[in-house]
Amino acid sequence: MSLDLSWIIHWGLFNVVVLYGIGIFLPFAFYRNAHFQNLVAHGAAMAASIVGVVLGLAGLWAPEPVTFSVLSNLPLLTFQVRVDPLASFFVLIISLAGFAVSQFAMGYVREFENRRSIGALGGLYNAFLLSMTLVILADDGFFFLIVWEIMSLVSYFLVVTEHEKPETRYAGFFYLIMTHVGTAFIIVTYLVFYQQAGSFSFEAFRHPAAPLPEGFRTLAFAAALIGFGTKAGIVPLHVWLPYAHPAAPSHVSALMSGVMIKTAIYGLVRVYFDFLGGTFPWWWGFIVLAIGAVSALLGVMYALMEHDLKSLLAYHSVENIGIILMGIGAGMIFQSYGLSNLAALGLLAGLYHTINHAMFKGLLFLGAGSTLYATHTRNMEEYGGLIRKMPWTAFFFLVGAVSISALPPSNGFVSEWLTFQSLFLSFQIPDVLMKIMLPIGAAMLALTGVLALACFAKAFGISFLAMPRSAHAREAQEVPWAMRIGMAEMALFCVVLGLAPMGVVPMIDRVTAPLTGITIAEKIVSEGGFALVPAPDKGFASISTPVLGLLLIVLVPAALLTAVVIGGRLRKRFYKTWGCGINLKPRMEYTATGFTQPIKQVFDMIYRPTVKLETEMLEESRYFAKRMRFETHIEPVFQKYLYDPVVRVLSLLADRLRVVQAGSLHLYLTYIFLTLIILLLWVR
Amino acid sequence: MVIHPDIGSQLVNFCSALLLLTCFAIIAQRRLSACVDLFALQSVFLAVTAALVAFLTGAHHIYIAAALTVVIKAMILPRILKAVIERLNVTRELVLNINIPSSLLVCGALVILAFYITQPIISLGFLLTKDSLAIALAIVLIGFFTMIARKKAVTQVIGFLVIENGLFLGATAAAYGMPLIVELGVFFDVLVAGLIIGIYTHRLQDTFDSVDTTKLTALKE
Repeated sequence: MSLDLSWIIHWGLFNVVVLYGIGIFLPFAFYRNAHFQNLVAHGAAMAASIVGVVLGLAGLWAPEPVTFSVLSNLPLLTFQVRVDPLASFFVLIISLAGFAVSQFAMGYVREFENRRSIGALGGLYNAFLLSMTLVILADDGFFFLIVWEIMSLVSYFLVVTEHEKPETRYAGFFYLIMTHVGTAFIIVTYLVFYQQAGSFSFEAFRHPAAPLPEGFRTLAFAAALIGFGTKAGIVPLHVWLPYAHPAAPSHVSALMSGVMIKTAIYGLVRVYFDFLGGTFPWWWGFIVLAIGAVSALLGVMYALMEHDLKSLLAYHSVENIGIILMGIGAGMIFQSYGLSNLAALGLLAGLYHTINHAMFKGLLFLGAGSTLYATHTRNMEEYGGLIRKMPWTAFFFLVGAVSISALPPSNGFVSEWLTFQSLFLSFQIPDVLMKIMLPIGAAMLALTGVLALACFAKAFGISFLAMPRSAHAREAQEVPWAMRIGMAEMALFCVVLGLAPMGVVPMIDRVTAPLTGITIAEKIVSEGGFALVPAPDKGFASISTPVLGLLLIVLVPAALLTAVVIGGRLRKRFYKTWGCGINLKPRMEYTATGFTQPIKQVFDMIYRPTVKLETEMLEESRYFAKRMRFETHIEPVFQKYLYDPVVRVLSLLADRLRVVQAGSLHLYLTYIFLTLIILLLWVR
Repeated sequence: MVIHPDIGSQLVNFCSALLLLTCFAIIAQRRLSACVDLFALQSVFLAVTAALVAFLTGAHHIYIAAALTVVIKAMILPRILKAVIERLNVTRELVLNINIPSSLLVCGALVILAFYITQPIISLGFLLTKDSLAIALAIVLIGFFTMIARKKAVTQVIGFLVIENGLFLGATAAAYGMPLIVELGVFFDVLVAGLIIGIYTHRLQDTFDSVDTTKLTALKE
């Protein structure tokens, strides 16, 4: 059996690379036929994703990690990959999402057929998926950094697909800078390990010749948090995310927001639990937890104020990365107090939310892509009534919205519930401070959940319900089948992840077991497998989403039945909604701005809104307004107080440096000459 | 015929010194066509030195390099440069970044510097050409200095070619020449560089009505 799995893994590794490779290069062979290019590129991506799913599952169940390496001529660099449960789990995430998104893309990129090279778009798309897969599989620091950089650059090129728009170019530039700052910190992390290990191989990182001194461990912790945190979009390093993710074509946004930021989560888990061996002081976990809580809360609060559907979703990625980090941070805290059971629970909750978020955020971005495809605008204020024009899209978007709002029995509910449980179980920690802080984290998570629900009530309600607010929305049509099927697949993944936690938990347990040294699946999943019981010995709480789902199915008709029985026969009458005698118009509808106004008032300390109201009165009478103009902005706090000063200092320094760049050939020659002479004198 | 190693070494040093002397002459010369002639002369001296080394050491492939030096550096490249000068009608270097007496002083200092830098290497050497290494470095530095001190593109080309001569001498001095394939590659490079710089000079003339490279500053944003 084990032999077979190892064979499957090798077969999978080979085929994943080959199929994505075909997807990268073959489209260019059909440069005359954009339609064919589309089929080849995304067909190859789908095939590769299926292989990736097989590879991920095989890797999860393989008894031993499988390594595979190709030597290179370059010093320090080995192309080594390692398929262990952690990597397999993330490969599974990438491939599942990649499959559905590729399906969607087949329909979606037809939008670009006359404006863009489909070959380039499809090739880059495949390169993006391949580089993400290799980032996960890499087992060598140098190799990791190379594919990490390729991933960043390829995604940059995808972000600037519509480069004729200035805001897209700005988004791309912003992203490029942030991702390189992040990469610099990751390099620092790896150099810290390298100087003790003497090699860039991850195996050497795991078992350095001499244990790392405490200071270096802390440096590695901080650098990894900043480096990977930039990619993940933790507050305050999240600012690029709401620009870059919406600017990309929607299927790429789905991958960037759903999957790419997860590679950063992978990196953090890899560094903290694998390289650093899972032994760390309590305050590391606390910092991760605190950053997670702040990211979750601020992410959802900024999302609420966003009326660009894709930016809104991008801010929700900040929120969900925060929730994931809360789970992982709680796990780290438990780990440092030696509570392995709970450590595994926290980590499991975080990883569960990782795969859930990949699916529902992917689904929501595909839904946003569909509305964009149909209406050609991202502004929610111009949507409305789309549920009648696009019932399929509306349904799938609703599935995603329910999941991200963590309503039972959705998948988002399961993982957030597990996170809650691990935070509440903090009463087992001997330290009083942690006993207080973790429940506060749980409170922040609760607030986050409520605000997320408000946000998606707004997103769904304003976009899909009521009357169309613009000509765009009135002329919208349902999207092609390829896109609908892609969304259906994503929705299916979401539902399965929600209704079958007893299948998913043992799977993730295989990931956390090697990292925490303990397996908890049997303890969490109750006998018979229908409920989750995080702390069986404490009799704390249990949950069963299949039963909840069943209840929902039974209770809704029961309620209807009761209504019919008690209220008598329902009589249908088709008539206009009563509007006080005035004809109802779209202008009377709740706007997205109006919907969130109360929340803006409550949290004005954080939003710092500026409101401008100009009223132009009729000349005849100052009681009748001729025209009113209302403007409201929230203050971009992080950009204004954190980034702008840094940018100002940098440009000041750059201005000073310009003196050196006189543009004179002779001066440049003199620089080279003097450098040469100084070096010659120095080596003497 | 067998020459005593000491005498051979002296001969090589003498020829190398002649190369260095032509460098000073190039620095001191304002007339461009004379500069080109001096460069051709220097290349001939280089070929003689290389041939001498080939004869003394029996490394026959250096003969080929020497022959190529004569053909390319003493004949073809000077022709190209003279054609450029004629077509552009620039005969004299009128305005200098650094005037001639100062240039000569600087070059003298560079020679001392070269000897100072290479002294520890030479004292370890055992080849009969080892003393030429200092001279080779001096020639490279002077060539470089020519590129900095002179404004006309043609003079800069000559400076570049002088650097190349210095490198060739250095390779011969330090290791009895590079493998032939490398030499061939280098000759090809020099030829192509000469052509490209010739074209570049034309373009410069067309764009700025001058071959004064300081005008390139105007290209700055």
